Amino acid sequence: MNGHCTSRKDAKDEFRLPGLEAAYTRILRELGEDTDRQGLLRTPLRAAKAMQFLTKGYHETIHDILNNAIFDEDHDEMVIVKDIDMFSLCEHHLVPFFGKVHIGYLPNKKVVGLSKLARIVEIFSRRLQVQERLTKQIAMAISEALQPKGVAVVIEAMHMCMVMRGVQKMNSCTVTSTMLGIYREDPKAREEFLTLAKHA
Amino acid sequence: MESIHASEVKAICKGKMVTKHLNEVNEVCMQKGEFGREDKGHKESEDVVRLSVIAKSYAGILKELGEDVDRQGLLRTPLRAAKAMQFFTKGYRETTDDILNDAIFDENHDEMVIVKNIDMFSLCEHHLVPFFGKVHLAYLPNKRVVGLSKLARIVEIYSRRLQVQERLTKQIATAISEALEPAGVAVVIEAIHMCMVMRGVQKMNSKTVTSVMLGEFQENPKTREEFLILTKN
Repeated sequence: MNGHCTSRKDAKDEFRLPGLEAAYTRILRELGEDTDRQGLLRTPLRAAKAMQFLTKGYHETIHDILNNAIFDEDHDEMVIVKDIDMFSLCEHHLVPFFGKVHIGYLPNKKVVGLSKLARIVEIFSRRLQVQERLTKQIAMAISEALQPKGVAVVIEAMHMCMVMRGVQKMNSCTVTSTMLGIYREDPKAREEFLTLAKHA
Repeated sequence: MESIHASEVKAICKGKMVTKHLNEVNEVCMQKGEFGREDKGHKESEDVVRLSVIAKSYAGILKELGEDVDRQGLLRTPLRAAKAMQFFTKGYRETTDDILNDAIFDENHDEMVIVKNIDMFSLCEHHLVPFFGKVHLAYLPNKRVVGLSKLARIVEIYSRRLQVQERLTKQIATAISEALEPAGVAVVIEAIHMCMVMRGVQKMNSKTVTSVMLGEFQENPKTREEFLILTKN
């Protein structure tokens, strides 16, 4: 879905750790730190493992998590799961961006276990990402799995690359959305979703 | 021209000129921000070499994570990430003296001065992941006051480093104490640690609070209480 293949598999993570560790050790030294001081002794390993965790979405697939949780249900009203906490890494600076994901879909005789929607967010957010692409990938994944009448995804996020560095705007928030099917074609459906996702 | 390895510097450490491995210099001088460079041009070319090594390391990391470093979105990421990391650790190259020199004033004021809600961004030295929050600080002047923005700049110097929140709090308090010799200093930091939120135990709403109380703030509970009440949000 990212338009490229990643070669990393679960079992290989362990083998890749030494390479990652060595890279982090070099980075610490070139930043001028003392890698032998107590606080930094195991940092290269911790940072390597942290980075692998933060990009674990690469070796998870929708099929893995959705297989048994799609149910036939005669329900054709909007289903919304909102305020899903999302944490990702900006692929430009390798710095976190995080916020909330709000998802809505209009079932077409098939509904999905609600937590699976949050798991889909996890799969795509635990990668090096761009918020626009993340939003679209979540929407497309739900669309392909359920073939619903429509899917709506909105993400509101804070980008540390804009807050901690660069332009340093503390309170800025980036909002992206993807509307598919009836949410794109019918303004009323879209409006209903946006209203319900916004308010309690 | 003397050729010098990227990791060696001519550094002025505690008044002595030395050619040392940067790690050795920093072990002694890093936390106190005491080391300087004798030659700006030399420094700039060194910085370029360092940046290049850091960028190459990031390229290696991207490959080891299984990413395609030739795809459009990642082409310049190693360099951007390297520059970002240098920015996040720029506090190592700044000293309190640099920023305070002209902004200490004689003033007959001995009531509490508080600057609160100072945004703080730092990097956890254990995971290299951000932690950020607010710093509230106060001091009781002893005939000398400091420009208010300098207090925020002191926070910047120590937070733009690989840190542990406890040490950061103490360094800010100690720096103010040494610069102004006030009757007391109080520093409180409330922060969110991404290493606890994004990974590991994954507790979204947890906050870590640390404090350092010096002088009057340590000895006098009423003074401490006044500070804590005035900084409560």
